Amino acid sequence: MKRRSLFLTIALCCAMAQAALAANWTAGMVEGKLELQSAGPLAFGPDGMLFVADSKAAAIVAIATGDVKPGAGNALLKVEKINQQIAALLGTTADQILIVDLAVNPLSRNAYLSVSRGRGASAMPVLVRVKTDGKLDVVALDAVKYSRAELPDAPADKAVGEGNRQSNPRLESITDITFVDGRLFVAGLANEEFASTLRAVPFPFKAIASGTTVEIYHGAHGRFETRAPVRTFASFKIGNVDHLLTAYTCTPLVQFPISDLKPGAKLQGKTIAELGNRNRPLDMIVYQRDGKHYLLMANSSRGVMKITTDNIAGTDAITAPVADKKGLTYETIADWAGVDQLDRFDAKHAVVVRRTDAGAMNLETLPLP
Amino acid sequence: MKKKNGTDGKDGTDGVGILLRSVCSACFVIFCFFAFPNRVLGQTQTIRWVADPANAQKITIEVVGVNAEALHRLRRGRWQPAQWRQWFAVYADEADTAMAGEYRVREDVLQFEPRFPFDPGLSYRAEFHLARLPGGRANAKPTVSRFRLPPRDLTPTTMVAAVYPSADVVPENLLKFYLHFSAPMQRGEIYEHIQLRDSTGRVVELPFLEIDEELWDATLTRLTLFIDPGRIKRGVLPLEEIGPSLQAGKSYTLVIRREWKDGNGAPLKAEFQKSFRVVAPDREPLDPAKWALQAPPAGSRAPVVLTFPEPLDHALAQRLITIVDADGQAVAGETALDDQEKRWQFTPRAAWRSGGYGLVVRTTIEDLAGNNIGKPFEVDLFAGVERRLTTSSIKLPFEIR
Repeated sequence: MKRRSLFLTIALCCAMAQAALAANWTAGMVEGKLELQSAGPLAFGPDGMLFVADSKAAAIVAIATGDVKPGAGNALLKVEKINQQIAALLGTTADQILIVDLAVNPLSRNAYLSVSRGRGASAMPVLVRVKTDGKLDVVALDAVKYSRAELPDAPADKAVGEGNRQSNPRLESITDITFVDGRLFVAGLANEEFASTLRAVPFPFKAIASGTTVEIYHGAHGRFETRAPVRTFASFKIGNVDHLLTAYTCTPLVQFPISDLKPGAKLQGKTIAELGNRNRPLDMIVYQRDGKHYLLMANSSRGVMKITTDNIAGTDAITAPVADKKGLTYETIADWAGVDQLDRFDAKHAVVVRRTDAGAMNLETLPLP
Repeated sequence: MKKKNGTDGKDGTDGVGILLRSVCSACFVIFCFFAFPNRVLGQTQTIRWVADPANAQKITIEVVGVNAEALHRLRRGRWQPAQWRQWFAVYADEADTAMAGEYRVREDVLQFEPRFPFDPGLSYRAEFHLARLPGGRANAKPTVSRFRLPPRDLTPTTMVAAVYPSADVVPENLLKFYLHFSAPMQRGEIYEHIQLRDSTGRVVELPFLEIDEELWDATLTRLTLFIDPGRIKRGVLPLEEIGPSLQAGKSYTLVIRREWKDGNGAPLKAEFQKSFRVVAPDREPLDPAKWALQAPPAGSRAPVVLTFPEPLDHALAQRLITIVDADGQAVAGETALDDQEKRWQFTPRAAWRSGGYGLVVRTTIEDLAGNNIGKPFEVDLFAGVERRLTTSSIKLPFEIR
């Protein structure tokens, strides 16, 4: 009896602590209508917190989805012709739908897609949820709890020039976001300067969440140093140290410790693999299988690459001209052809959006290779 | 007051709807007389499409003629959207998934307000299933109506307005093009419409950085097209495997194909071609000491003219050079760039006053190969001294007399 009440007390304390912690994540949030100018890369944080990159507004938005309960059953997500189904839901045709990113809520296992309804200047950003029962719905933003972090050095609000010449064309496209240990990492690519920034923004967002900005450089063979726009990244522990594994637009795969992200730092990561020509890294996830860690990268030309990270701690930086497949070894997963979007579903599965030979796009859950 | 854009049977939007409704009505009279004489006797349901006067693409779909008892049940219940869709749903084109939107009962009318506007030219179908309503009659036939907004005018009008660099000679390590269009374009799969051809007409394979984000400006009238940096940067694999996208000594043509659609969905008015010759790579940092400044006389609104020995990046030269007065305050005026981006001009809004001014230039300004002030695109660390400026801008003072 005594033991039982002790257990209940501990359980109650745990529940209260959890509730207090949950409340912390929504600190500073407002409740109301959320207006997005664009919906780009997505990432989930704790307690069903969905981060949406809004490149056009130069902002990151955190939405408390409240979607925290596991979905019904253990069903694996599968939706055939998802682009056509989304088009129907949004009252248009599939050629007017762009699926921008995919993120799986680790608590509910529901998949969220950022979508553009339309392709022109009046395109509407939409978030679509794919529930574990395979049904689709639009994430209503009319009355949600959210907070917003404006990115520093955003395009000035004022226009340049006068009269017909007025314009403010500069924009930074957010290419990827990820949440690690209370901070949101944001990679952006400018559309004028050949430059990229990597920002670490603490969450919950502060009043002015300028975050930490670093410049990323690439040192090819220890000789030629250039600015290096980041395409996509994933967080990964090497030993006990959090690292970012980063794919550059010029194709090397680079690692650096998160602790190196200091204000105004110039960061040059360690090149651990060269992905070679005709590569366009699209998305990547990290997972564990049989006690080993792997990196899975969706790639424009090579399909999905499975990269062994066993020796990542000991891998020497690539500092000399290399033949293809240098550095960490990888294999191409032939069965995963056509993958455009990729995220982890659970410890053993990934959710992908991929194109079929017939041109349709399917959302599927695949066992991790 | 909302304008009724099309009412089933009245505005002739759909003959099928009228026919079905007529058949339906006949059935009601015969069947309901025996089964539910008090519920639907004499009732006919009509679907109407009502446009918002402020936005012709915002359409509300209404069902009128639903009997009072059914309306009462619908009003009283806490029905989920999935239940509503069983009774009353709107579909785009031939889809079998219903559009998202809000349902309500307003007075004696069922309303569905789609969450998204209607697309011009696309057919929409509304279905009302009386038989599926709570307490409804099992074999009542559905009321169906179709509606279509007038299609967009797809006469091609949009053109490529300009491509920068405008010069017909570029360095082998050219970093980017800017494509300017006369009207907003469509995004998505844009790289299918851009080709680089060599002098024999052969298409160069994957010369550009193709990224899903597509580096458009906010108005979708300017696209930034980076040459694949993997084929520019020395020491990375793509360059070593297949060489640069552009090779010195050769000529190329940039082709923007006509099939690329503008924001309205119309193709371009014409294919665009820009031919240019490629010379040796430019690995020299920008040196403002080589720029020539021509100051206008005091009292005039004549432009300050700055000339460069080589073309600069079109967007950055216009954004990153400003003029400040003796107090460091920015001078208001208009910037222009011409002579193949080798001449920058600034015309003030107010006449120049005598005294000291300064030209402030951000060091991140680029030439065609991405070289900055004091720092080349690629820093060769083996070459010894690393040239790196710690300041983010430089100031070039000048006098107005």
